[in-house]
Amino acid sequence: MEKTFENALNELENIVKELESGNVDLDEAINKYTEAMQLAKFCNEKLNDATAKVNKILTEDNELKEFKTDIGG
Amino acid sequence: MNDKYLKISEVNNYIKSILDEDHFLNKVYLKGEISNFKNHTRGHLYFTLKDDTSRINAVMFLSYASKLTFEPEDGMNVLVEGRISAYPNQGTYQIYIEKMDVDGLGALYIEYEKLKKKLASEGLFNQEYKKKIPKYPEKIGVVTASTGAAVKDIMSTIKRRFPLCEAILFPCLVQGKDAAPDIVKQLKKADEFGVDTIIVGRGGGSIEDLWAFNEEIVARAIFQLKTPVISAVGHEIDWTIADFVADLRAPTPTGAAEMAVPMVIDLNNQIDNYKIRLNKFIKNLINTKFINLRNLKNSYILKSPMSMYEIKMQKLDSLIENLNHSIKNVLNQKDKQYEKIKMSYIMQNPMHLILDKKNKYEILLNTLKLVNPLGILEKGYSLVSIDNKLIKNKREVKVNDLVDIKLYEGKIKAIVKEIE
Repeated sequence: MEKTFENALNELENIVKELESGNVDLDEAINKYTEAMQLAKFCNEKLNDATAKVNKILTEDNELKEFKTDIGG
Repeated sequence: MNDKYLKISEVNNYIKSILDEDHFLNKVYLKGEISNFKNHTRGHLYFTLKDDTSRINAVMFLSYASKLTFEPEDGMNVLVEGRISAYPNQGTYQIYIEKMDVDGLGALYIEYEKLKKKLASEGLFNQEYKKKIPKYPEKIGVVTASTGAAVKDIMSTIKRRFPLCEAILFPCLVQGKDAAPDIVKQLKKADEFGVDTIIVGRGGGSIEDLWAFNEEIVARAIFQLKTPVISAVGHEIDWTIADFVADLRAPTPTGAAEMAVPMVIDLNNQIDNYKIRLNKFIKNLINTKFINLRNLKNSYILKSPMSMYEIKMQKLDSLIENLNHSIKNVLNQKDKQYEKIKMSYIMQNPMHLILDKKNKYEILLNTLKLVNPLGILEKGYSLVSIDNKLIKNKREVKVNDLVDIKLYEGKIKAIVKEIE
């Protein structure tokens, strides 16, 4: 399954809660911690992607073109 | 001479032919108030249309009248469509109405209420059909006009709040009679294109402007979409039919965009918060384990491992000692019991037991003798009987009775001399 932002964020939240519940042994905790940190990084990167998506328009010819809303700022 | 006079029918038909040839009169739109309304038994409608200054006769034949969605009556303001022609028999001209609607908002409201009721009864507005709006959509389809404030508001708000989401416009007409089918077409396109959420709507306007969003085909199209739909039709107060069918209704186009995507800054904060919690957790964990380790290292056993061995050795010695002691104790006890039995009186003097039994026998024999009735005779007592019956009372004998007297040795017969 492709990793989506939503999946990553949900997974991150679950791991944090699981670790905080205190029912995880040391080796597993370290693994989970590493995994959670990677998920956080993934989410941060997705959110702060410098190449943010541009708005598009699907034309009559079914072509996707950039759509400018012409709003200052 | 008389040739210059025409028949009335001839002039009326001539007038009719002129009217019928006039293109303008072939398609006329009129606005007026109904009066003298008559519903003919055959289903044709006859009435007069009037305004402040003029009037015109009107007829609506059954084939058109049967399509009416309301009941016409005197005083009603209507919009009609038809052709103007003459009725030669009467020498009048009139409008032959093909289409008639109630004038003004009234008609639209009637239609709106009717459709709302119908769709509600079919369950199209039911909560159970509402789809969940994705929290973090990556693609949003926007179905609205490509110009105007609405599209700008929606698309710029999405971009500002949640830049990783792609907003794709599926442009459509949003007013006029072609708007509804166009909206339907673009909704389906967006649905098939594959987006996480669809926003459909337009900016504010009059009820007529918004009318496309009250059309049945739009409502049914929204209902059938696989993609969750947020509606945003201008008006904050009035709900369009589209609003009722949509999975979520936004008061304005900007509002729809706000409902569709989260704020990136909120999410960054949330993720930061998770990171802080994770680091705190791992720090605590490592600290705890470190303290545990130190405690273990400092423990006596680990510091002098031989001590553990020594303790075990000592314990083993003590166990062996206990075992030996226990065995000795048991043997001693049994020995003592044996001696005690050996030294007992009985074992030493068995004859005593026999004499003792003999004495007991003598005593019992004497006791037996004492209770034997014949034993009494030995002491000088005697038994007196008559006819083998012992006499216990003087009344049992009479004077001169012959009685037997049994002695210890022998018997005597005697005669009773006197009874006292």
